[in-house]
This record gives sequence, structure tokens and C-alpha cells, in this order.
Amino acid sequence: MQIPGSLDTNKKFMAYSHTVGLCVMQGRGFMYPVDTLIADNGRMHTISRAYTSAAHNLRITIYDTDGEYYGVYGGYGSDLGKFIWPSSIAADHDGNVFVSDEQLDRITIYTSDGSPISYWGTKGDQPGELNGPASLAFDKNNDIFVSDHQNNRVQKFTKDGVFILSFGDKGGNESKLNLPWGITVGPDNLVYVADWANHRVNKYSKEGDYIQSFGSYGNMDGQFTNPSSVAVDSDGSIYVADWGNERVQILDSDGQFITKLRGEATISRWAQEFLDANYEEAEPRSRSNMEPDLGRFGGNPHEESAHTEKFFWGPTSVKIDSAGSLYVTESNRHRVQIYKPNSKA
Amino acid sequence: MLFCTGRTEYIPLYFSSAPISSIAFSLTLDPLSYTFRRPFLNRWIDVETVQELTIYIEVEIKDMSNKEDLALMAHLFRRIGFGASREELDEYLDDGYEQTVEGLLNTSPVSPVDDALIRRYHPDHSTTHDTSGAGSYLLYRLVATKSPLIEKMAFFWSNIFATGYAKVTNGKPLSDQFRTYRTYGMGRLDDLLLQLSRDPAMIIWLDNIDNHNNAINENYGRELLELFSMGVGNYTEDDIKECSRAFTGWTIANADYIKELAVRNSIFPYGKLAWDYEYNEDDHDSGIKTFLGETGNFNGEDIIRIICEQPATARFIARHIYHFFVADEPPVPQWPYEDPKDIEAIEMLEKAYFDSDHNIKEMLRVLLLSKFFKSEKCRFAKVKSPVELVTGVLKLTEEFPGPNIKITERNQQISFMGQTLFNPPSVEGWHQGLEWIETGSLTERVNFASEQLGDNTKVGIKKIVRKVTEDEDAYISSEAYVDRCLEQLGALEASPPIRETLIKYADENGLADINLSNDGPEAERKVYSLLSVIGFMPEFQRC
Repeated sequence: MQIPGSLDTNKKFMAYSHTVGLCVMQGRGFMYPVDTLIADNGRMHTISRAYTSAAHNLRITIYDTDGEYYGVYGGYGSDLGKFIWPSSIAADHDGNVFVSDEQLDRITIYTSDGSPISYWGTKGDQPGELNGPASLAFDKNNDIFVSDHQNNRVQKFTKDGVFILSFGDKGGNESKLNLPWGITVGPDNLVYVADWANHRVNKYSKEGDYIQSFGSYGNMDGQFTNPSSVAVDSDGSIYVADWGNERVQILDSDGQFITKLRGEATISRWAQEFLDANYEEAEPRSRSNMEPDLGRFGGNPHEESAHTEKFFWGPTSVKIDSAGSLYVTESNRHRVQIYKPNSKA
Repeated sequence: MLFCTGRTEYIPLYFSSAPISSIAFSLTLDPLSYTFRRPFLNRWIDVETVQELTIYIEVEIKDMSNKEDLALMAHLFRRIGFGASREELDEYLDDGYEQTVEGLLNTSPVSPVDDALIRRYHPDHSTTHDTSGAGSYLLYRLVATKSPLIEKMAFFWSNIFATGYAKVTNGKPLSDQFRTYRTYGMGRLDDLLLQLSRDPAMIIWLDNIDNHNNAINENYGRELLELFSMGVGNYTEDDIKECSRAFTGWTIANADYIKELAVRNSIFPYGKLAWDYEYNEDDHDSGIKTFLGETGNFNGEDIIRIICEQPATARFIARHIYHFFVADEPPVPQWPYEDPKDIEAIEMLEKAYFDSDHNIKEMLRVLLLSKFFKSEKCRFAKVKSPVELVTGVLKLTEEFPGPNIKITERNQQISFMGQTLFNPPSVEGWHQGLEWIETGSLTERVNFASEQLGDNTKVGIKKIVRKVTEDEDAYISSEAYVDRCLEQLGALEASPPIRETLIKYADENGLADINLSNDGPEAERKVYSLLSVIGFMPEFQRC
């Protein structure tokens, strides 16, 4: 039996590569990042949700996996190009960037370099209306799926916001969603939804027909506590941000548990540059034990992560790039941990 | 004098005159006893031909015993919590006062909110870098709590063991400290002081991180005796030194790094870290110490045991409890020179302290069942702290059934009134009583209360307005409108002049002239205004 919170080191499905990130209020770095887009040009766009009393920290940061920084766009407000509670980011087949805002109930469209183009979305619970668009994903037809979480459903639109269909709010208990969060369209063109409050992942056809559920509430292998995000690689393996358990689980295409990741963050390039310039912090840090005894936290993963810097803390988003690398965005540690595919067990 | 209570009755008024050309009349009856159901008061009635006239005034006779129970229950919840709605009070009245007190004393500090849901919307509430996240998260809990005494006691201790963000510069250790007060705040004082001495935020706040073997820092030892347990005049300077020696080695993990991060208020590289207590035996002074007349190889636990056995400690805690829950005492620095206002009450609490082996819950039981706590003279005698005022209003408005971006703004409004949660002005905490009221803060307080109570978008206020305007009759008197509003706001009581002012306001707005059958929305609109005016009344600012 696995001990909750322990590392399963026997199955090295993915190997930790490195970390990108730094907690900063503005510019190069993040403040409570919630989602990351891996654009086709290799650049990454990470949303900093920040918090209400530090609204000037809101932004989208553009950089690459090597830590090269290209600037920021967006910001607090309701004008075109601004947002208040940004939650998700995705790109269409033309490279335009779509950002959802849970407070303004709209989707804003930018060019690939962050210039705002337009937005669409109306608050409500009728077909085509939104109440808390939490996550976005494009399918092969360049249509966009939106997890409309406070309406407990997923809606499909054209990229211009024309309503096509919705699902998740009807059918039996298996198919019904409860505050869904992350969503993705797999290589099989099926829709995977992190059914957050039901502690499972649901799979639907692109027409919204329910197919299958994975997982149940808990902290054992294959169980979830409030999953926040899901990604599928080219082999059909399913990556789930098991947010409440502060870990990432990897399942095979049938939903069978393969392995889990707890986080192995190291000092990023940006962090290293900070420490190099701030000896007063770097020196005592170098003498510190950054991995306290987990026994004192009573098996509470939230507290374990609060006290252990390398662990995932608030893994809100998992994304897979074309090479099969995994990107885990952690809201509470203001960084992205990157894993690369290894020999698969 | 007249009727059975709880029933609608008719008071006949007989007039005889020849001829009766006009009659002007008004009645003055105790508003606590009657609710007028017909708008006949203060009207001119022109009668040209009638020589005899009997007018029946319809009144609802209130059940006075129930009214007193209601007033007492409302008083209880204003003091041990953050007020209660009329609906909540009715539920508690079904249990009765004593059983309600037992329920309050015997609840556990489980989270009243869905922490995961809050963290989903507010990731900063997980890490609580600063007072914004920590304060907003606390506000969610206060509004939702079903264990108000636990939260109130946490506030009680947090104001005695005042620890501030200004020096700690990390919200999570402060939030964790508050959690400790929830867990230990109604248990034995010995256990609470032990947890306090191991609390990472306190260790930074009062420099025990710099309290070393052969190089003591007296800050924590001094305040433990002066402000946290006994009070000035009950120990010597040597006791402070010996106490400090006993707490050497009580520190936090990675002390040098954490101290540097705190001093620099650093968020680098990956946000703020949580802190852990650590006992460093190598840095502990294990020599013989003499403390308050006892000698031994004392460690911190022994010091706490000795402190808790002192009569001065019982007096100090009893006086704080009285000050917080009953009536304002002078500021703590004056205590050595001014006797308690109610020495009998203090002695009752001291006795409970020793009879129960220093158990705070038993002191509270004695307090809440006492005549001095229940007495009418102490009702509405204390000024609400900003957090009490705002939380009480938010319970009424029901603005936060779940996460809402507005929580940050509400938390900021508490700051604007002079109380930034988790950041008291000094180690003495916030001074209570009338010190909450100064020109700027008073403006913020009344504007906030008035704006919120008159807000027709708030679910809770809509419910109140609906209850006030629901009636089988077409008309309600101005007095009834006022009384109903006060009752729905948690059995609020207005002094006679204030009540008259409110009735006059209702009159001038023509409330009594509105036919509810035909023009209910108009009545509701005016009731929102009346509620807004009630937000200005002094009693609303008091508890």
C-alpha cells in the first residue's frame, strides 16, 4: 500500500527536468499563476491571477523553457485586454491566445504576442451564457470548449463565441459535473474534464456524450481530491493535477494508475539570479534544511507542501507539449515544474 | 393591564362631546409591550355630526417573558459572537439560554467554510503572504461560523497575545497562531501558554529567536509576565531574567534564514515559507533558576506551571474576560493602580479558574450564567470592534454564502475603521471601548452599516424587508415598521429618543399610508431606506 504523500520512485514514468519561475509582483516572474499555455512557437504564457488587493500584479508573462523572458501583457480591469479573475489560457490553430475570466464571464482574444483583439461572453445560465468560465481547450475543428463551472457544465463554441452545444448538466449522476475546472481535448478528440467537486475525471465525446469516469474521492493511488486540471499525451496517458492532494497522477488510457509526482522543484534560473544578487538571503538559505520531517503535519498534504518548498503546492494546471514534456503550474509556489518523458514503465 | 399576551386585542377609546367637530388624539403605550397594527395614531379625524365616538385601536400584545428571553439571547450572541439574525435567535430560543450556553461551550473548532472552495478562488488564502489573504480568509470563517464563541475567544487571546504583521511579515504563521487560539483558547491556560511559547510567529515577534544560552533576550520573558499572564507589580526584574533563561533554545527551524526573510519581508524565490517551532537543546540554559520564589532546573514548561498557579494570573485573566465580555475596564497599564469595577464578578471568575485547574471554559460558563453578564445595564454598553461590526452586518446581508471577490474589500473596510486584522498597533493589542470611535473611523462605521443595510441587492436584506412588509392587513403603522425592522436586525433595541426619530422618519416617508395590497414594492423601497437609517443609530454600533 502506498503511504499518502510518499513518492513512488519505482516507476519513473516522467523525469524531473527543471523549474521556471520566481515570485515577483511585476515583470519577469509570477504571482499566483494558475495556467500556462505552451504555444506552438515554444513560448510559454503564464497567467498570474494575483489577488484583489494586489491587482497590479495581474498579468500574463511570456518566456520560454530556458527562462528567456519576452515581456508581459494583460492587467487588471474590464477594458479590452484586461481581466479580473483570469483562470485559463489556450491558443487556437492560428496561434491567437484565448483567456477566460471567471469574474467578468468572458473570453478575451489576443494575438500571439499579447495584443488584445476582442472578447465575447455574457453572464447567465442559458445556453451560450457563462457563469465562471474556468478552463478552455480547442478541438481539431478549432472550436473551443469552456468549462462553465458555476453552471456545472461544459459548453462548446466556435472560436468567435457562437454557441454549439453544452453537456455535463444533464444525464445520470456519472455524467453530471459539479464545479468542473480543467478541461482538455485529447489526441483522440475526446473531451476530458477535471470534475473538481466530484473528485473524478470525466470523459465525453466531442458531441458531449458521456463515455467514462476515472477515480473517486480519496488520497490513495488512482483516487483524487478536487482535481483541477487534466492533460493527455500522444499515447493516451492521462495526467491529472490532483490539486487537493498536492500531486500529479498519471493514468493509462483506461484510467489505471501508473505513477504519481509530488514535486521536485529546484532553483530556477530566475531564482538563482536573485540569490546571486542577494547574499544575505542566499547564505542562510544554503545552511537551511528545506525538507522538514513530514510526520509533524498529520498527513495533511496542504501543510506538507506549505512547509516543503520542492513539493507541488496548488498544482492548478498540467499541460503536455508536442515532445511529451509535462508542465505543472503551481499557484502557491509561483513557478512551473517541467518533467520530461522517460522510459515508460 | 388589559389582555393576554401574544394576541391581537382591541383597545376602546370613548369620546363624548356635543358636538364633536374634530378629535385629535395620540396614544403613548410602552413600545416594548405593544405592536400597533393599525395606523390610527397621530391622525386627525373630522367628524361633523357624530356626538359620541368609540374608536378601537387594534394592538398586538407582546409576550413579555418571551421578549425578555429574546433580548437576553440577542445580548448573548452580540457578546460571545457577532450578533445573530432573528431567525437564528428563534432557533436558540427553542433550546433555552442555559442549553444554548452549553452548546457554545462544547463545540469543536471545525472549519465552518469549504476551505478547498475558497482556495480555488483565492489562491492567496492558502499562503496568506500578507494580512489581506489572512484577514479575508478569517472574515469568511467569522461570517459562516456556527461556533462563534470559539472564534470570539480566539480574538480575545489574539488581542492579549497581540502579534503583528508589521514585524512577522508573513500571514501564514499569524493565521496558524489564530488557529492555535481556536484549538486551545477554551482549555487550560497552561496548555495555551505552552503553545504560545512555541508559536513561530510569537518567537519572531518577541525575539525569542535571539534568546540564547548565556546571551538572553528578555523580550518574550518580560511580556509573558507583564502582558500575557500576571501584570506589572507581581514579579521582579530577576524573575524576568530567570524566565527568559528558561525559554532559551525555544526557537524556529532554519532560524537564521527565516529571520532574514522576515526582516526583508521577502517573497523570494518561491513565495513565503511556513514556519516550524524547534527546540534547540544545545542553546538552552539548563542551569538552576529561581523564579517567583521557586528554585530548580526550570525549562519553559516549569515557568508556565508556576505562572498559572499564581493568584495574580487568575486576577489578570479574570479581569481581561470581564473587560472583553461584560464592561470596559481601564486600560491594562492602569490595572495595578485601579481596582476592578466589579470585584465580586472578578472573584467569581478567579474561583472558577482555580476550582477547574485553570480551565478557561469553566470561567466562561460562570461568566455566561452570571447575573452580571445577563444584567440589562451591560447591554449595548460596549462599542463593537470594527471586525464585530462588519461581521455582524455581513451575517445580515448574507453576501458571502461562498467565495466572492468582494471579501477583500470588506476586509479592507475593517482596516479603514481602525483594525487591520493580524496587525495590531503594538504588543498591547487594540484598546477597546470608546477608543474605537474617532472622527474618521466613526464615519466609516456608520457609512458602512447604513450602505449595507439599505442595499436592495443583498439577499439577506431582501429577506428582512420581505418579513417586515408581510402582513395580512393592508396597512402597517410607522411604529410597527420600526419595531419590525429592529427585531429582524437581531432584536435590536433603540432608546426612546432614537425610536421616536425612526418613527418620525417612517412617518415622513409615508410608510403607514402605503397600501401593501396594492403597492408592496413601494413599501419595500421605503423599508430599505428605513433600514439604512437604522444603520446610523448608536445602538447599532454597540453590542
